[in-house]
Amino acid sequence: MVRAITKKAQLKIQQMTFMLVAVTFLFILVGVFFLSIKLFNLRKTATILEEENAMLLVSKLANSPEFSCGNSFGSKSNCVDFDKLMVLRERMSEYSEFWGVAKIEVRKVYPDEGNILCNEETYPDCGIIRILDRKVNAGPATSNFVSLCRKEVGEKMIYDKCELARLLVSSEVKG
Amino acid sequence: MSELQNKMQGKKAALEISFGWLFAIIAGVIIIFGAIYLSTKIIRTEQETISVETGKEIGILLNPLETSFESAQTTSITIPAETRINNGCELVGNFGEQLIRLDQKSFDKWIETNINIRFSNKYIFSNAQIEGKKFFIFSKPFEFPFKIADLMYITSSKDTYCFISAPDEIEDEISDLSQQNLLTENCSESDIKVCFESNDCDINVNYDMKYVEKDNDEMYFEGDSLMYAAIFADSETYECQLKRLMLRLKEISRLYQEKEIFMGEELCGSNLGWDLNELSELAGSLENSEQLEIIAMTADTVSEKNDARRCMLW
Repeated sequence: MVRAITKKAQLKIQQMTFMLVAVTFLFILVGVFFLSIKLFNLRKTATILEEENAMLLVSKLANSPEFSCGNSFGSKSNCVDFDKLMVLRERMSEYSEFWGVAKIEVRKVYPDEGNILCNEETYPDCGIIRILDRKVNAGPATSNFVSLCRKEVGEKMIYDKCELARLLVSSEVKG
Repeated sequence: MSELQNKMQGKKAALEISFGWLFAIIAGVIIIFGAIYLSTKIIRTEQETISVETGKEIGILLNPLETSFESAQTTSITIPAETRINNGCELVGNFGEQLIRLDQKSFDKWIETNINIRFSNKYIFSNAQIEGKKFFIFSKPFEFPFKIADLMYITSSKDTYCFISAPDEIEDEISDLSQQNLLTENCSESDIKVCFESNDCDINVNYDMKYVEKDNDEMYFEGDSLMYAAIFADSETYECQLKRLMLRLKEISRLYQEKEIFMGEELCGSNLGWDLNELSELAGSLENSEQLEIIAMTADTVSEKNDARRCMLW
């Protein structure tokens, strides 16, 4: 009789323990599910903010000192200095985190030079100046039209040559 | 036998009641406290997330304030909750970093966060902590001698600055901006007074000797954009941001130095390499605003030589 009562009590404790473990697991599962939703939303917000940064940056990047023509081509707004960009692309290790975006490039629109990458050999008859490529998961690019200007030597004088280009900025996709 | 049975039944009942109740109480207390702790944590994390998002959003919204040929621009930001913007500056990496940290008021209590939003390409001048719901942002390019960056001056709508006896160009600029908390006339007692011809105001500007005196600190400037920076920022922020600006000047000087080489001597001549190198080295070694005058002399030489070139570098 005593043994039967002890066994019944042990069974109750076991039942309680199983219940406790099951409840704990349930709470953990609910917590993990909730956290994963939160994390997903957080990553989504971070990506949206990065995209917003890229979108607003592209409209003003041409005026930043590393890109802008300044007064060397007269007072032009949204004017990008081709020679400066050629030097800047060589100094990207210093600027890799500066603008907080994944990719920056300038593509000539007119005259169309195709997909020829700009370097010292192909300059100035090239179509793409790759300024920054951080080799991260990049989102779709946002762009802005700019004048891509450089100095040209004519027969007797130096003149400004400006071409139509697009400045493209891609943000980093988080997660 | 029956006596023993009775005794056992009594003990069993006692054990069942005490264990069941004990377990229910312990488990219940643990679960309730756990739930309260977790929900507090979640609410706090949620508030921190909102602060961080708002901080990032403020930084992003500063992008359109990049000037092209404008001399200054102004805009305002209104945040739904009472907010403290903590303006920080760190000299790390090639350009240093602008830090923004937001604390927001919730149920009449400040929720302090310790997450800083970092930007390398922003230069914000304000006191270390500004409080309010509406903030005014005024931006102005800093040229030394070429454009280095756009400086952003953030002030709370709660603080009104009154410029007394300012030079005509400063007075005109402030009037043209039409920023509600920047006045040149009809000042009230509670306004922060910025004086240009006397020494007994909250902020005293010596425009000829090029320094601003504020809270017993002297901040030296070159050009109007740095003068405004010294007026709106505390000395620690000003000195740190100035060093960051010099780091950028160092890099941009090198960029122009290499541009001159890239363009070749026969196209536009070559006369700036040495001076740009000196400017870059001086900028990189600036320790405080008092040394700004020395760099300004080299910057003037560089500017004159650039103006005399067949084709200007900037």
